[in-house]
Amino acid sequence: MKVELQRKRLISFRSCVPFLSGGFAFVVVAIILSLAGVNPIMAYGVMLKGAFGSLHGIADTLVKTTSLLLLGLAVAVAFKCKVWNLGTEGQLYIGALGATLIGISIIGSIPILGIIAMLAAGFVFGGCFALIPAALKVKFGISEIIVTVLLNFVVLLFIAYLLHGPLKDPTTVFNPYSPVIFSESQLPIILPHTRLHAGIIIAALAIIAVYVLLSKTKIGFEIRSVGANIKAARYAGMNVTKSIFVIMGISGGIAGITGAVLVSGVQHLLIEGISPGYGFIAVIIALLGRNNPFGVAIAAFFFAALMSGSEVMYRMLGIPSSLAITLQALVLIFVLIGEIFARLQIHKTENAMKNW
Amino acid sequence: MTIKDISKTFFAKLAKFQKNTKTSVRDPDSLNVNVRNYAKNKDNGPIVFMKGITCRFGNLIANQNITFDLKKGEIHALLGENGAGKTTLTSLLYGLYQPESGEIYVKGQHAVIRSPSDAINLGIAMVHQHFLLTLAHSVTENIIVGLKSTKGIFLNLDKAEEKILQISKKYGLKIDPKSTVGNLSVGEQQRVEIIKGLYRDVDILILDEPTGMLTPMEEKALFEALRSMVNQGLSIIFITHKLREVMEVSNRITVLRGGNVVGIVKTSETSEDELARMMVGRTVSVNQISQGSISKTTPPTVLEIKNVSALGNSNVLFLKDIRLDLRKGEILGIAGVDGNGQNELAEVIAGLRKVKYGEISMDGRSIANLSPRQIRELGLSYVPEDCLHTGLILEYSIIENLVLDRWYTKPYSNKLFLNKTEMMKFADKIIADFEIKIIELNAPVSSMSGGNLQKIVLGRELSRDSKVLIVHNPTRGLDIGATEYIHKQLIKQKENGVGVLLLSLDLDEILTVSDRIGVIYEGKIIKIVEKQNTDIDQIGLLMGGKAIKT
Ligand SMILES: Nc1ncnc2c1ncn2[C@@H]1O[C@H](COP(=O)(O)OP(=O)(O)O)[C@@H](O)[C@H]1O
Ligand SMILES: [Mg+2]
Repeated sequence: MKVELQRKRLISFRSCVPFLSGGFAFVVVAIILSLAGVNPIMAYGVMLKGAFGSLHGIADTLVKTTSLLLLGLAVAVAFKCKVWNLGTEGQLYIGALGATLIGISIIGSIPILGIIAMLAAGFVFGGCFALIPAALKVKFGISEIIVTVLLNFVVLLFIAYLLHGPLKDPTTVFNPYSPVIFSESQLPIILPHTRLHAGIIIAALAIIAVYVLLSKTKIGFEIRSVGANIKAARYAGMNVTKSIFVIMGISGGIAGITGAVLVSGVQHLLIEGISPGYGFIAVIIALLGRNNPFGVAIAAFFFAALMSGSEVMYRMLGIPSSLAITLQALVLIFVLIGEIFARLQIHKTENAMKNW
Repeated sequence: MTIKDISKTFFAKLAKFQKNTKTSVRDPDSLNVNVRNYAKNKDNGPIVFMKGITCRFGNLIANQNITFDLKKGEIHALLGENGAGKTTLTSLLYGLYQPESGEIYVKGQHAVIRSPSDAINLGIAMVHQHFLLTLAHSVTENIIVGLKSTKGIFLNLDKAEEKILQISKKYGLKIDPKSTVGNLSVGEQQRVEIIKGLYRDVDILILDEPTGMLTPMEEKALFEALRSMVNQGLSIIFITHKLREVMEVSNRITVLRGGNVVGIVKTSETSEDELARMMVGRTVSVNQISQGSISKTTPPTVLEIKNVSALGNSNVLFLKDIRLDLRKGEILGIAGVDGNGQNELAEVIAGLRKVKYGEISMDGRSIANLSPRQIRELGLSYVPEDCLHTGLILEYSIIENLVLDRWYTKPYSNKLFLNKTEMMKFADKIIADFEIKIIELNAPVSSMSGGNLQKIVLGRELSRDSKVLIVHNPTRGLDIGATEYIHKQLIKQKENGVGVLLLSLDLDEILTVSDRIGVIYEGKIIKIVEKQNTDIDQIGLLMGGKAIKT
């Protein structure tokens, strides 16, 4: 019983690790800031104010949260099946492409249905695209890590080609933009006079959907089992191939929805830089959130605040926003260290318990 | 006398002991006094004397106030169940761990042993349960590695080989110094480990469960070598949990239980059942295992394997032309030395490994190369060898682990969703039926003990309504009580008409429960015989690949 208590304590300790790590990262950046001659307390104050100090700030933070949360979920869900999807950036663009095609077509002019069709197109485009690395992994044993990363570049170049050629808005001469989607297929603003659109609701629904999928459904059980112990899953008669395909489809699909939400809610057209590298931060977010849907939500919010706060910090104090990236990287490093440490501790207690 | 006879008399005597609950364990303290007395007298004193040794791992006391002595020229058995603290105690002597309290005297001198090299300098060598050899190197290279004389630029292999051959001849440890260790059998590799110690001129040898992976033939040869060593003045600590072996090879026995010494006896003055009682701490009740009743009509075959060949892990043909038929209501034991294709055979039947050539049918239906799930649905239960990592998902709760094979079927889920309530109901039933001890229903099973984990897999597999049950090393690492429980379960299955295929490295186990016995050697089933017509020597020869002349 004593050991059981100890174990509980360790588990709660483990859930504190990301927060402790975040704290450490802030302390280290504070030191860097003071070395650069900036008062760190003032800098963090500006950052905090930027992220939460005004309606616009809050809205901006939440808009960023939406994208990061959805993409973080996409990475986390795949990792539940021990599949590394590092290609969410590419899948996001493919999803955005699918959504744009709907949004500028006649379907996009139908109210409500236009939005639903855009989201569906995002899911289908992103999901199908993610089946390529899944197939290569299952059929030829090629690591999905490599394939998904490389496909990102293929997609970015492909989108650039489309925006400079076939998909380019015929009314503009210089800008590589697609035509604007119909206003009926634009996500409504839910906080007047800000940029906060209904995408945040879609993100919230996605959290619930992923949670239900993984812990309540049959396919979720199979996916989790394959992820936890592929040997045991095979032994128990589970279908490993099917699990990998399904999870890559879902993961890519969520990434595709993210693209659709960005087109429908923020840009209203497709541009080259529709994602400022969200796909890469998403991996950090999934790790920080320990692949748990709710953990991912917290981590996404944290990073969104960090991003919008540091933009303000840059505008007001002239502190380069690369410092925000430094902060993100430091958080990740500290989290990984803390994670290893926590895991060792848990391992030790579990061993001790076994001999009890 | 065959094992069968021994075990029969063993069980009979045990039944008697059940009534006699008084324990006659000799008091270890009174022995300490003796030891202390002759510790003063250096010449006749024990060559190793460990006094009041305590060693902890975290909260766990692995050794508690243990006193142990080894006399010159004796084989002293250290007997105890898994986890009794045998390895820990000898590791302290070999300098792998440091005791928390207590003193060690070697050859009359107080010794502080900080590392294995300290131990070797004192003349102590240890052969571990798992060998520490590099497979790509020759016997000689493995033996001289790490020696001071090899630290120059040139190795003098010829001289070393000469010394190895000398040792080999002196004690009857046959070995070719030039052969590559990777090509040697387990028994030969063990000899290399022993010679490695002797090469360093030690006179105290610790052998940790040395017979675990040997064939009966190799075991016999080992025992002979050990006797020859003690006759020539060496002293040996022999660790085991097998009663038969201590009786056969040792001079004295120290019995450990739960980290304590429960008795020190002379082998000539004790019996297997007294030792069993000391080891377990209670009288073991083993029901007379029912002998396979020989009915006149042969029961129908439930599993037929015809000329099956399959690839091994390194993609070369490993299972070759396997022929086997398993009948309804029988236990067919497959004996063999580890790594001769047991795992591959089980996997081929279960659909986890492709059948390259040949045909498998279960209850008349072909199952070769069906998916594992299809084969299970047609009536297969399978308790795999590596229960912990193949049979279970350690981060799952007991509930999820118990439905690992049936979560997708009717009461446990509908078209889309899992039904937790039904799963829980089922788990409660199995936990009660199989007497599984749990701390918390929803906690990951990784915190449960080995015996209970084994029971989860067993509970799941035996509760399938199956026609064929494959069990692979079901009792390895379990204590006597749990072993006995599992054997009873297997017999119950057989009585219910299930065909049981028992793959086991433990020949005693196979001889106790099977009706027929087959031997697997280098991927082939080389013979299947009725139990009535076998004896251990014949099986032993077959396990070593020797065809018998009849
Ligand atoms: N390095 C270790 N760390 C923690 N516990 C250990 C370690 N080595 C052994 N133990 C524990 O100590 C007890 C005695 O183990 P051991 O000496 O290996 O027993 P035996 O050799 O008799 O089977 C067991 O409960 C085992 O789990
Ligand atoms: Mg041991």
